[in-house]
Amino acid sequence: MKLKEYKKIVDKNSPKEDKIKNVLISFVVGGSLGALGELFVKFLEAKFYMPPSECYMYLMILLVVISSILTGLGIFDNIVTFGKCGFIIPTTGFAHSMTSAAMDNNKEGFIKGIGSNIFKLTGSIILFGLVSAFFLALLKGVIM
Amino acid sequence: MTIKFESSYIKNNYTLLGRNEYDISLKVDKIIRDYYNNKKSIEEGESSYQIETIKGLLRKEKLKETDIDALISGDLQNQLFASTFASRDFEIPTLGIYSACSTFTEGLIIGSLLTDLNNKVVITTSAHNLVSEKQFRFPIEYGSLRKKVNTFTVTGSISALLTSEKTNIKVEYGTIGKMTDIGYSDVNNMGACMAPAAARTIYEHLKDTNRSIDYYDLILTGDLGVYGLEILKDYLKKEYKITNGIFKDASSILYEQNSGKEIAGGSGPICLPLTLFSKILKENYKKILLVGTGSMHSKLSSNINETIPAISHVVSLEVIK
Repeated sequence: MKLKEYKKIVDKNSPKEDKIKNVLISFVVGGSLGALGELFVKFLEAKFYMPPSECYMYLMILLVVISSILTGLGIFDNIVTFGKCGFIIPTTGFAHSMTSAAMDNNKEGFIKGIGSNIFKLTGSIILFGLVSAFFLALLKGVIM
Repeated sequence: MTIKFESSYIKNNYTLLGRNEYDISLKVDKIIRDYYNNKKSIEEGESSYQIETIKGLLRKEKLKETDIDALISGDLQNQLFASTFASRDFEIPTLGIYSACSTFTEGLIIGSLLTDLNNKVVITTSAHNLVSEKQFRFPIEYGSLRKKVNTFTVTGSISALLTSEKTNIKVEYGTIGKMTDIGYSDVNNMGACMAPAAARTIYEHLKDTNRSIDYYDLILTGDLGVYGLEILKDYLKKEYKITNGIFKDASSILYEQNSGKEIAGGSGPICLPLTLFSKILKENYKKILLVGTGSMHSKLSSNINETIPAISHVVSLEVIK
């Protein structure tokens, strides 16, 4: 049997994922997270008279710390199951995948376990984030 | 290739269930509700499950380690960690096998060849949900999104004793399957990966033994899940013109309440023997065809965009009442 025919059988018998529902949940959850973050930034600006760039830095730190702690407590994976990509795409997802990878290998020691595995999932985000930042900065320098 | 066994019988078994997130209501010999089982890591935890079942089986049968001629064991971990580290505690000659979720039927075939030579053989297999998540998917605490077709690895271990002395469960035929790759590559839908292999080996078994599918009271597949079983039936119909047969899937029986809702069923090498020993053999089935199915992918194979090869080994049992 050809793969095409087989895929027809598979599709007939497999349940459909509720893609629209997932997208909507992610949109609402991710959007509210962003709105909350914006509120926090405005709060810092108003209360402590910080420049915006510093406010965003503190917001990042807050999100990363909270999601890392929740991952360590074993709660965050359930939150992700509920909020889907709404929690994975923001910085919370980055911290979550970093912490979970470190937890997986903590029995293998600090250097060979945690040290060499902590960026297993997030290594590519860091690498390609840096590479694209470099080229964008270069572009900016050339244009301006 | 189909082999007829002259004198191979399943004498006894010892079943152990670890901690499982979804309830399993089957009665087993022992339940350990701890992923670690007082060990430092989950990998060693799985290994200790195997030690428990082998010791339990020897205790049940009042046998000494030296009475057993061979131990055949397998699991899902890299380099068969659980099996090798469990077997170092025993004075028994050991064979390690890897055949993913069809480990038990592969063990039965090799073990039956040995029992035909008048040996006593113990077949052991184990699985651990967290270890498989870590090894085949994402880190344990990572909240990866599950699809409805995802299966859920069952944690536990099983040992079975094969002898040449007559009991009421006879191992009759064993068919060694061919590695089958239809070109399917969705790791999430393992039932769909393994169904063609199962169908192929069932067809070859029936051809070699000159039997029709109606000869068997029950065809018990290992861990295709609820959707995989339907795919198998459709595929058998279209490709091999086999339309009849009473099929059940061991993994969906295990997770009876949750199969088809949050998950498609269980997976792992212990689904098939666990359901067989704790449920099917206690019911009135006379002729049972065991279809173990294994999906032979790894992280590497999906990273280099390879398709998923699958294997299926089939064993026919006869229950003599």
